[in-house]
Amino acid sequence: MLKNIQEWIMVLLIVGAITLVGNWVGYNVMPVEAIPGILVLIVISLVGLILGKIIPVQIPAVAYISLIAIVVSIPGFPGSEYVVKWTTNVNMLAICTPILAYAGIAIGRSWADFRKLGWRSIIVGMCVLLGTYLGSAVIAEFVLRWQGII
Amino acid sequence: MAEKQYSLWKDWRLHLIVLVVVIATEMIGSKSVSIGVGVVTFLPMLYAIVIGLGLYFTPAVKEKQSKNAESLIFLAVSLLMAKFGVTIGPSIQTIIEVGPALILQEIGNLGTILIALPVAVALGLKRESIGMTHSIAREPNVALIMDKFGLNSPEGRGVMSIYIFGTVFGAIFMGLIAGILASATPLHPLSFAMASGVGSGSMMAAASGSLIAGFPELEADILALAGASNLISTGIGLYISIFLALPLTEKLYSILIKVRARKSSNVQADVEA
Repeated sequence: MLKNIQEWIMVLLIVGAITLVGNWVGYNVMPVEAIPGILVLIVISLVGLILGKIIPVQIPAVAYISLIAIVVSIPGFPGSEYVVKWTTNVNMLAICTPILAYAGIAIGRSWADFRKLGWRSIIVGMCVLLGTYLGSAVIAEFVLRWQGII
Repeated sequence: MAEKQYSLWKDWRLHLIVLVVVIATEMIGSKSVSIGVGVVTFLPMLYAIVIGLGLYFTPAVKEKQSKNAESLIFLAVSLLMAKFGVTIGPSIQTIIEVGPALILQEIGNLGTILIALPVAVALGLKRESIGMTHSIAREPNVALIMDKFGLNSPEGRGVMSIYIFGTVFGAIFMGLIAGILASATPLHPLSFAMASGVGSGSMMAAASGSLIAGFPELEADILALAGASNLISTGIGLYISIFLALPLTEKLYSILIKVRARKSSNVQADVEA
């Protein structure tokens, strides 16, 4: 467990550091300005990961992470204005780029399987993603219009 | 193996490669290209996934880097989930206001059955199509199908093929269609923001990233709604699959396969006549 936590901290710090560089190059935020924000995100992640490990219920750590992040950023929660102010300096897209770079390197191993997929699987796969995306958007549109929000 | 598991952070070769890829892709920046019907947005994260995949086939990346990358993605994604979370808090009022739409759009995931299942059956796929089209085939749904039909069943092979497709191609595909659909259809970008939370971190990031590129003034709302809908998908998506999507897929499959059989026997009859 302790080894796990040490590993998590180191990986999160490294990915965080890479994010800060991307945040600087791509979105012109000086790393110094974004350090508090990324540290907040790292701490939230860490607490969520630890909870996911120690609470003996089948709830994935990402759920804890999301819930903690929501609670600490709700107006009225002590310090929430700082959480929001600091994390705003860490661009969402800057976090995604390193994640997908790691993902690209990782999926190289799935490439052989991918090539074995027939053309039919690829067509169906595209329809699956398109279907869920359009289906959800259409329903959301109806409800939002009906409520008069958009 | 246990030793290896605890040294992800020491893989400096991997982190250095990712750092270089990040600097390069962020310097290029996002590019929007108009293609007549709409606008396609190419984000740095999409270049990053393609370059990362390409590097796998060069000597720079060895098997070890690829394995380590796979193991540490869930840690990296947790940062992204935290980021989405802290955008939800300040918008909690809005989230509650649009709550009904947020919850009901979850049912829109059944759209995959309505669109993809007829296509799969028309292409001549049999029971594989049930595994393929009942959901977007991320980890919980793979587990569900394996549990119900078994690893070597046609349904199991079907869900695995879409899982692999989504793993390799999902983020890229979602990033591209989000931009096109939001600019080419009359649907509101906020509806697409809600639709972006499909239950996969990278697909959500790519889809909502493209929306933000197209509608920067709505950034805060897009992030909050995508994050909230993804959280709902994570929470109840599997139950919708178990109680609604999978039974519906099986039902529709048996109807479609009958229609197809009747059609082909008609053709047969025509030929014989």
